[in-house]
Amino acid sequence: MGERADVWQGTLALMVLKTLQALGPLHGYGIARRIEQTSGDLLAVNYGTLYPALLKLEQEGYISSEWGTSDNNRKAKYYKLTRAGRKQLDKEAREWEQTTEILARFLAPGKESA
Amino acid sequence: MRGLRALLFRLGGLFRKRRREQELTAEIDSHLQMHIEDNLRAGMNAAEARREALMKLGGVEQAKENYRDRRGLPVLETLFQDIRFGARMLGKNPGFTAVAILTLALGIGVNTVVFSVVNALMLRPLPVERPNELAFLENEHNGPSQSFPNYKDLRDSNHTFAGLVGYRMAPMELETNAGANRIWGYLVTGNYFDVLGVRPALGRFFNQSEDLSPGQSPFAVLSYSAWQSLFGADGGIVGKTIRINRFSYTVLGVAPPDFHGTELLYWPEVWVPMMMEPQIETGRPWLDNRNTWNTWVIGRLKPNVSPAQAVADLNSIAAGLARQFPSENEGLRFRLAKPGLIGNLIGGPAKSFALGVLALAALVLLAACTNLASMFTARTTDRQREIAIRLAIGAGRGRVVRQVLTETVMLSLAGGGAGYMLASFLSQALSRLRAPMDFPVQYDVNPDWRVFLFAIAGSLVAAGLFGSAPAWRASKADPNVVLRGGSTSWGRSRLAFRDILVVVQVALCFVLVSASLLSLRGLQQALQMNLGFEPQRVSTTAFELGLAGYSEERGRAFQQRALAAIQSMPGVESAAYSNSLPLSIDQSHTGVFPADKAELRPSDRIGVAFYQVSPGFFATLETKLLSGRDFNWHDDTKSPQVAIVNVAFAKRVLHSENVVGKRFRGGVQGPFAEVVGVVEDGKYGSLTESQQPVVFWSILQSYNSTTTLEVRSSLPATQMVAEIRRAIAGLDLELPLYGTGSLEQMLGFAFFPTRAAAIALSAFGMLAIMLAATGVHGLVTYAVSRRTHEIGIRMALGARPVQVLRLVLGKTTALLVFGSVIGLILTLAAGQVMASIVYQAQPRDPVVMMSVWAAISLLGLFSSWSPTRRAMRVDPIVALRYE
Repeated sequence: MGERADVWQGTLALMVLKTLQALGPLHGYGIARRIEQTSGDLLAVNYGTLYPALLKLEQEGYISSEWGTSDNNRKAKYYKLTRAGRKQLDKEAREWEQTTEILARFLAPGKESA
Repeated sequence: MRGLRALLFRLGGLFRKRRREQELTAEIDSHLQMHIEDNLRAGMNAAEARREALMKLGGVEQAKENYRDRRGLPVLETLFQDIRFGARMLGKNPGFTAVAILTLALGIGVNTVVFSVVNALMLRPLPVERPNELAFLENEHNGPSQSFPNYKDLRDSNHTFAGLVGYRMAPMELETNAGANRIWGYLVTGNYFDVLGVRPALGRFFNQSEDLSPGQSPFAVLSYSAWQSLFGADGGIVGKTIRINRFSYTVLGVAPPDFHGTELLYWPEVWVPMMMEPQIETGRPWLDNRNTWNTWVIGRLKPNVSPAQAVADLNSIAAGLARQFPSENEGLRFRLAKPGLIGNLIGGPAKSFALGVLALAALVLLAACTNLASMFTARTTDRQREIAIRLAIGAGRGRVVRQVLTETVMLSLAGGGAGYMLASFLSQALSRLRAPMDFPVQYDVNPDWRVFLFAIAGSLVAAGLFGSAPAWRASKADPNVVLRGGSTSWGRSRLAFRDILVVVQVALCFVLVSASLLSLRGLQQALQMNLGFEPQRVSTTAFELGLAGYSEERGRAFQQRALAAIQSMPGVESAAYSNSLPLSIDQSHTGVFPADKAELRPSDRIGVAFYQVSPGFFATLETKLLSGRDFNWHDDTKSPQVAIVNVAFAKRVLHSENVVGKRFRGGVQGPFAEVVGVVEDGKYGSLTESQQPVVFWSILQSYNSTTTLEVRSSLPATQMVAEIRRAIAGLDLELPLYGTGSLEQMLGFAFFPTRAAAIALSAFGMLAIMLAATGVHGLVTYAVSRRTHEIGIRMALGARPVQVLRLVLGKTTALLVFGSVIGLILTLAAGQVMASIVYQAQPRDPVVMMSVWAAISLLGLFSSWSPTRRAMRVDPIVALRYE
């Protein structure tokens, strides 16, 4: 169970970084909604788990945060990608692509004995 | 490195909590509001919108808690919590805390003091380069010294040492502006500083090429403390000339402050090249004498050479020396010892002494831990309600155990800290303590980081010992039972556990009290022992005429003039002089042969101690003359050589006790000496030696420039000593006196180990008694308080006081007896350890054993007195209403 959480944490971090890259500075709620929308119905996101992940990314220096005002005039904490975060995103994205590619080859029907 | 950055941030998260908490609340709040607004827009009603938002978030508090775990370091945070809580619990019960800390401070303090001595003697390396390569050369059969020619042969023909240095302690007269000072210095071979690898604090050291031919190297190196105290830390001292024994030396440099030579107990004030031996030890040159064993030798092993290889190498050289010089070197064999304590001469006994005392000190700590374990178990019992509540509202058992352990570790570190301070205070006092004798016995037992680590380790071990039981018990607490208000299900076993602790305590107490009584008895025996002379009312002083420039002829005249002057003083009953005194540090040995051997073979040589004494010596010291006569003033160089021997000599050399008129080979004035008197046996080298054969020569027949005066007088020693000083000054104002005082004072050296043991072990014994008394008291008090109700019922039903007494004390008595039996067995089993610390330890000494039994019984009686009385006075009505 711990291991699955780690995988989830890892992918969650990647999703957060990607979201911030795509949409620019955003608050936690916005990030959560965006991840949920992007994944469609496939992923039931527990918004609460997002905040420790954001904190971790901030501690590692991949994102930074500051308080700002939302569209409908509400105070919210906005997160944005740092330079290190951008690099990290490229790196992790590449790794994921590689991983999925390899897995895809494995799972493609009838080709494993070639 | 991202991990490190995150860790730093998390450490930062431990601080400024309030602001971070506010921020978190605000963030979650805004998140919820935004979500609710969206939901409202999507057409939900207000309640629904809120509910959905909360569900998606997964609960506000849960989200916050997860966030907090990530923000700080949960491990540290719980630790801080535990510490805060522990401090509060300990603060709530200051009496308990104080007693616990005091107990630990004494237990750990005692161990730390003893350990700092062990550290100084055995663990701390010498302040030289790669000290573990150094080894002290020692003869398998006859002690630690080598002859100088042998040293040179060893140095030049070995293949296993990178260098061999020779050194010797010698008294010197150092002249400064303030006058002549009698100091001790080292004569050392030229390679000394290079081989040891010491760097000067000032100037330079001498080297091999500056120590080649006798009398040609007038150089001196000062110790840091001599430079400070005798030369006022003169920055321009290098190159200046100083006078030692009326001969000029150029100061080359000053040694670093922490370097005191290679002997831990004998610190030199000055180093002089070995080739100056004839100038330093005036009139006694021995650099070319293969039969004068005066040089101590330390070698530095070559890299990758094992001690065994080195010994084999040395012994093959020794075999060659034995072939070449059989009369001096027959049977010469070497072994290596750790440098610092003159090989095994002091090292062996000192080490077993220190380790034996350390073992007993560990028992004191164990007893202290037993006490604390018992106290803590009782306290945990009192706290079972609190613990049960914490378990009931969801604390993990691990968490509860951690809380209890945190408290014990806090206590023991506090106790350890206090103990360490106590210990450093005591060992600093110990380092300043100097035995009152003319010898540079100095040592440094000041605590260093090893001692500090030891104290911490001791505290943690103690915490483990006394904390594990209550922690284990806490983890077993069953909230169901406790909170229902019932007495706990673990009551029975807890009592049994405390019983075991009391038995352990009593047993330890028995061992420690036996040890202290044995040591006191040893001291008493030592003080009452027949020394072969009567030290009371004897004052002594000493001077060295050779160093002061007296020739033999003038020296003889001076000795007799001094004696005459003292004999004529009022209050003097008798007086005499000699080269040395029994049980002083300066002991001389020679070899004698039975008269019937025609050829002198080394194997027939019998080693004996000798003294050169004037007429009246035995009368002054009140040594009993058993047969024959004392020396008289005609036993001089013109008459045939005479000797007075002790009984052991008569038996060993002449195989009879009736030896007056018999002859043996030895002495300085001809092949034979005739025995003219026999005196009683005594103690000469140490109190613990077996009977030594001793010969006394007439000092008129064999001059010695080292002179000790003995004066028996009815006047107080201080007054007598002043009179003696005045009398000698009247004859030679400049002659430095040393070793001046009462003979009993001088014997401090011989009695020092016994005294030290008695003091240390008495302290241990007292501590053990205190600990055992509190332990027993606690047990009985606890038992009475738990059984008040039962006692009340019994009394209401008509139990007589005796029966109540039996109820209360029966078990305690059984435990005391049981503990004492175990203690007795342990004491008897530990006889070997006792023998290493206590002079003539007889663990089977029935007087001691009976006294210990008595002490333990009294202890039991006293410590259970007040609770027992309380039990006897239980008022049945009050007790039964107590429910």
